[in-house]
Parts: sequence; structure tokens; C-alpha cells
Amino acid sequence: MKKAIILISLTILGVYLIDIFTGIGFGTQHFASGVKDAYLIGSKETLRVSNVVTSIVVNFRGFDTLGEVTVLFLASMALGGILYKKRHDVGERSVLFPSTRIVMSGAKLLFPSIVLLGAYVFIHGHLSPGGGFQGGTIIATGFLLMLITYRNYSVSHNRLSWVESLAGVLFISLGLAGYFVHDSFLANVFPEGKLNDLFSGGVIGIIYVAVGFKVAAELTGIIYTILHEKD
Amino acid sequence: MEKYLEILNYAIYGAAILLLLIGLYGALTKKSLIKIVLGLSIMDSGVHLLMISIGYLKNGTAPIFSPGHENELAKMVDPVPQALVLTAIVIGFGVTAVALALVIRLYKHHNTLRIDEIKNLKW
Amino acid sequence: MVGTPVLFIVIPLLAAFIIPLTGMVWKNSVRIIPGIVLSYMLILSISLLWHITETGTVIEVIAGWKPPIGINLVFSPFSGFFATLMIFLGLLVWVYSYKFKRNIDSEPALKYFILLMLLVTGSVGIVLTGDIFNMFVFIEIVGISGYGLTSFYTRRDSAEAAFKYLFMGSIASTFLLLAIMIVYSQLGTLNIAEIADKMPMMSNKLKVISLIFFMLAIGVEAEMFPLNGWAPDVYTQAPGPIGAAFAGIVAKAATYATIRVMFTMYDLSGAMDFLIVMGILTFIVAETTALRQDRLKRMLAYSSIGQMGLVMVAFGIGTKEGIFAALFLIFNHAIIKGLLFFSGSYLVYTKKEKHISDVNGMGKYLPITSVLFTIGAFAIIGLPPFSGFWGKLAILTAAADSKMVALIAIILSVSVLEAVYYLRVVNRIYFFPKKESMETQKPTINALIAMISLGIIILVIGFYPDLITGFIDRAAADLMDKTGYIKDILTINN
Repeated sequence: MKKAIILISLTILGVYLIDIFTGIGFGTQHFASGVKDAYLIGSKETLRVSNVVTSIVVNFRGFDTLGEVTVLFLASMALGGILYKKRHDVGERSVLFPSTRIVMSGAKLLFPSIVLLGAYVFIHGHLSPGGGFQGGTIIATGFLLMLITYRNYSVSHNRLSWVESLAGVLFISLGLAGYFVHDSFLANVFPEGKLNDLFSGGVIGIIYVAVGFKVAAELTGIIYTILHEKD
Repeated sequence: MEKYLEILNYAIYGAAILLLLIGLYGALTKKSLIKIVLGLSIMDSGVHLLMISIGYLKNGTAPIFSPGHENELAKMVDPVPQALVLTAIVIGFGVTAVALALVIRLYKHHNTLRIDEIKNLKW
Repeated sequence: MVGTPVLFIVIPLLAAFIIPLTGMVWKNSVRIIPGIVLSYMLILSISLLWHITETGTVIEVIAGWKPPIGINLVFSPFSGFFATLMIFLGLLVWVYSYKFKRNIDSEPALKYFILLMLLVTGSVGIVLTGDIFNMFVFIEIVGISGYGLTSFYTRRDSAEAAFKYLFMGSIASTFLLLAIMIVYSQLGTLNIAEIADKMPMMSNKLKVISLIFFMLAIGVEAEMFPLNGWAPDVYTQAPGPIGAAFAGIVAKAATYATIRVMFTMYDLSGAMDFLIVMGILTFIVAETTALRQDRLKRMLAYSSIGQMGLVMVAFGIGTKEGIFAALFLIFNHAIIKGLLFFSGSYLVYTKKEKHISDVNGMGKYLPITSVLFTIGAFAIIGLPPFSGFWGKLAILTAAADSKMVALIAIILSVSVLEAVYYLRVVNRIYFFPKKESMETQKPTINALIAMISLGIIILVIGFYPDLITGFIDRAAADLMDKTGYIKDILTINN
């Protein structure tokens, strides 16, 4: 009965949504004048960042990204609070089955290249698709691989918190530099350089590197906390 | 024929909305906590797909000024939904992580994942 | 001037990132730094509140991009009033819980205080931001810190309450994203002022559906009637002071968001039947449910939901008097509900179930706490000479001015219900014999400071309402002046 009601109301919602979105149209320009063009031009002319998504994420709407980083930070904080236990209660990592020698050496071989790929992705975030969040996630998958392959592989919690905090502080201090120099938080304080150069976009590249470190540390921390749950 | 192709154009919206509804249905009807969390994430993915497809332009290119293509502004797809989706995905991830942690706590406390056996509070 | 609005967000975030490091060296810093940050925010907001009486609204752009392009923060008399109130309450929650958590380890304490600080920061962000997607981000910040704080005590059923909240919260955020995308696809902007400016360009169908999605999403946090199922459980299971934080900070921020969306973005000025009906429904349902509760905190939670309903009604009346009444009610509710939650936690301190009968005879054992609870109860009912009286009076006058007689009758009769269940508790405190099994817990000195300062404010505002009516008046005028808001933001020269 309950399911039927839910099904019916969801169908109604679906019909409504399809109606709305077909009305909006797909693959066409929906609005006459939006902020889109300002972003494209600003990114090319003023910021000299070739990846427009990056310049939106880090500069035009950089405040969102600060909030986003905070959300991740909060999630790892809340996770630690929810699953808190005294030191001597911390369990063995739950392992479904021991990994074979092939997996072990494979993981060891892959780990440095995964980290390198992650670093490449966030260093080139302003030139090509990718950026801090993507690169950080890739690095965290490297740690995940090591953690599930080696039963006794461990990451120092203190070290993770250091990386996390320093990266966060770097992000905010670059923002504050703009606040003191140009009177506006997150304003660019470094020379913009040339479009499509590695050193272009001023603070944008540096902020994305900081975000990359922070995301990598936070995701690794979250994985680590959940893996160490006794059942 | 033309008309059917017209509908195909909206396939991505249909898929996104379907994902959203599947997720919502799962979250509302399933009894297992893990399935509820899964439902919520599927719903999130649906919305993200919907958001990103709003920014699409037919025959558009990625909003990146690669060398030699610096002047194709008009052809570029809308970068704003992509940036918003990035934010939304990260937030969705954070919420899912917290939800799973809560599920672990609930499982330890009640030794079950079924929501109808947990109800100490009114639902 | 001590600073600009962006520091409200940046300084707490900076502190939040640094505290885990200082906590390794000096354990107490995890308790002290959030307090310093909150005090700084309070000083900043009060000085800005004085500053804007001379210069008008302060608008700050982020990253040097003018409003439609970049994100902007608006510190107007209206948003400043909310921000100051929420920060003040956040500081009191900090003062109250400074020693409350003395017996727990430093690591949960670290988490508790950081989450509390970011809960306040996120709420202030919701209020100050001038960008709809940025508001979404801040709502999620508030949400996640809320989930973490709710499930803070591991021995209660707190995880279940938090899961319920999270479930509602994630569905709400999905709808919020949908609404934002519908608006963006039509208008090509995310700036609230520009959306408001371009709103006539949207077709009526999309306007209605996106408004419904907005209301569904924000209504969850604002505890509107059918969407508030999570609230009583969360209030009951969360640590005592966090109940005050939810009632005084989160619900306020969400109310602000509702009003900003309805008044400014969708231009629904004048009498809004929808808000009045939803508010009245919330008010009646919540107050009658509160009457039937046998646990103190649940009763307070339902009473809080009811009060927010009354605030909705006052906004719905739509005249300047109505908005004035709504803001006065918001002020009262934050202060009084804070006091009730603070003192209520001590009245039923040790018992797990926290029944109302546990307060029996506490008047003798916890005299100060009991008196403070009684002041709070009298104030929220609306008895003179407490501040609550002026709020109730203001909404009744506003309704009378708009010739809404039925509304007056409903408000008065439901207020009688409210009086019944609060006086029942007060009666138990003073005239019932104490239960043998009930242990008493003397409030710590900092908890007393927090409670007494709230009690003093209730009394002082009760005798001299003019102290704040000036601010509230300006805030109400600022909200009504929609074209001014749009013009201020879109023509900023920076």
C-alpha cells in the first residue's frame, strides 16, 4: 500500500520533471545573456587560465570551493566523532581475505604511479581537465589500494592532520593575501603569465595544489577510519 | 523518423530523471539502511547528470582554451553547471560518508541493518 | 570598523583548520580558540551593525568580481540582525558547554567545538551570502555539522535521530539543486539580486515548480509543518546546548533563507496566504502535540516548531508591522528557547528518559535554574513584563491592522494551550514532592553565566523594548525595500 502511494507520487513527479526539462530544451542556448560569457572571457583575458571550469571553481566562485573543502573537513570530523572510541579499542583492520603475492607486488608497483598521476592531475588543473578534487581523489585511491592489500600498512593520523591543516591554511592565506593587497578575498596577487603556460593564472594553480593535498589527506583519513572498524 | 530522433535528444534527461526517481524510490521504500544510503547516492547522481546536461550545447566543445583553439568561445558548452556539479559531487560524497558512519554505529548498537527493527524513535 | 563581512566566514574556517594542530600541543586550545573566534565574530557583527546605520548596507565582493559574476556577501540591517543574534547565541552555547564536556577526552571535545563553531559559521554564511548556490553550500555545511553534533553521545539513540535528519537533509538538498538548476537554465545567473531582477522573464509554470522545490528543500531545515519529522528526535537526542543551537541558530538561518527566496527572489509581497496557512498549520499541530508530550525536551522541541510556525504567519501577513512582529518573535524565540533548553537540561540532568515528572520539586534543590526556567516559561507564553509579551503583542497588532480577526482568535486560543503545558511544568517544579530516585546536578559556573545573561536580557527587553525596536524596525524596512536591495548589489562600483 505504502509502496503503491510512493510509486504513484514518484510517477507524477517524474512526469512533471520530464515535462519541465523537455520544455527547457537540450543542447541549445537557454538564456539570452548569462554569466557564462563573462566567465569565458574573464578566464581567457584576465586570469589567463585555459580551463574555464577551473577558473570558475577556484576564482570566480572560489568561495564555494572554500565551503566545499570545509564540507569535506567537516565530514572527516563528524566521522571521527561518530565512530569515536578510546585508543585501546581501535580494532584490527577488517580483511576479507589475505592478498596474494601478485596483488602485493602489483600494488607496490602501482602505488607510486597512482600518486604521480594524481599529482599531475592537480598540478595541471588549470590547463587540462582535472584539478585538485580529481587529483586528490586519485591519490586517495592509491592509499586505499595499499590499505586493502597490506594488512599492516598504516598511515599516521597525525601526519594526515598536518597535511590537511597546512593545506587548508595555505588556501585561506592565499585568499587573505588578496584581501590585504587588493581588498577582496581570493583576488589574484601573483602575475597571471601567459595562457596555456604551466605558470599561468597566478594563485589559481597554487590553490588547486593545496586543495589537492587537502582532499587526498581527508579522503585517506576517512577511508582509514572506516576500515578500522571492528565488527 | 525525424520525430523519434527528436525524442532521442532528450534521452539523457530521461535517464537522469529515471535515476533520480529510482534513487528516491529506493530511499523511501527499502528497509535496509545500506540500501537507503545507496538510494540517496543514486538520487544524487541523477541530479548531477541532470545538472550537467543542462549546460550542454549541440556540437559544443569542452570549455578549455587549448593551444590553437583560443577563439572558439561561442562553441564552448556552459562551464557553470560543470563547476557546480563538481561542488555538488564533493558535498554528496561528504554526506554519504557521514551516512555510512551512522549506519556502522546503528549496526553496532542494534546488531541489525533493518530499519523496522531499529525504531526506538518514531519514524 | 574592525573588518568586513568576509571575515565572518574566513576567520572561523582558518581557526577550524588550525585547531587540530594546536590541539596536539596544548589540549585546552581546542576549547578556548572557538570561544575567541566566536567573540571576535560578535564584536565584528556589532561594530558592523553600528557602521551600517550610518553608511547603509555593506556589500563585499569576493575575488574582485562584481556581483552577477562573482559571489558577494551582503551585510544589511536585515541580514546583520540575524547574523548578530545567531553569533551571540552561538557564543552563549560555547560558554554553556565549556565545562559541560570536561569529563570527556580531548578528541571528542575537539570535534564538538569545531562542529559547533562551523555550525554557527555556516548559518551566518546562509544569512550573509548573496548567491543562491553559495547558500546551498552553506546549508550543507550546517547540515553536516548538525549530523555530527546530533550523534555526539554514543550511548543514546542519537545515531538514529541523526540518520533521520540526514535522510531528510539529503532529499532536501536534491530538490534544492533541482530548483537552482531550473532557475539557472532560464536566467543564466545565480546571483540572488540578479535573479530577482530577471524573474519576470521566467514562465509562470517554471516559477511555480521551482518555488515549490525551494520550499520543500528549505522547509526541512526551517521545520515547516509536514517536513519537520526529524526535529523532535534531533532536539531530544542531541546534547542539551545543541538543542538551543538548533532552535536559535539553524532554524533562524533557514527562516531567513525562506524569506529571502519568497520575498526577494520570487517577489511575493503583500499577504501571502501560503505562508499564513503553512504557519498556522505548523503552529496548531506542533502546539497540540507539545501538550501531549511526556518528555521535557520533546515538549520544548515541539514548542520551538510551533514558534517558528508563528514566525511564518507573521511574515505571511506581509505588512511592515507583520515583518516587525516576525523579527521580534525571532529575537524572542532565540533568547527564550535558548534559556529553556539550557536550564531544562539541568532540571532533568541524570535520567536517561528525561520525563517531565523528573522535574518534580526541583525548585528547592536547584533554585536558580528553576527560577530561570520559570522566567523562560513565562516569557514564551507572552506574559508581561518579559520580552515575549512584546512579540506576541506585535503579531496581534499586525493581524489586527490587516483585519485578520480569525487569525487573532487562532493565535490567542493556541497560546492558551501553550500556557497550559508550560505552567504544568512550572507547577511540578515548585509544588510537587521530589522523586527519590532523581539525582540533582548543580550547574557549573559557566553554565550559570550563560543562563543568567539570557535571563537578564529577557527581563531588560521586557522593560525597555525600545532597546532593540530600532534595529528591528530598520531590518524590517530593509527587507521591504526589495528594489533597493537589487540596485545596491547590481550597481556596486568596486
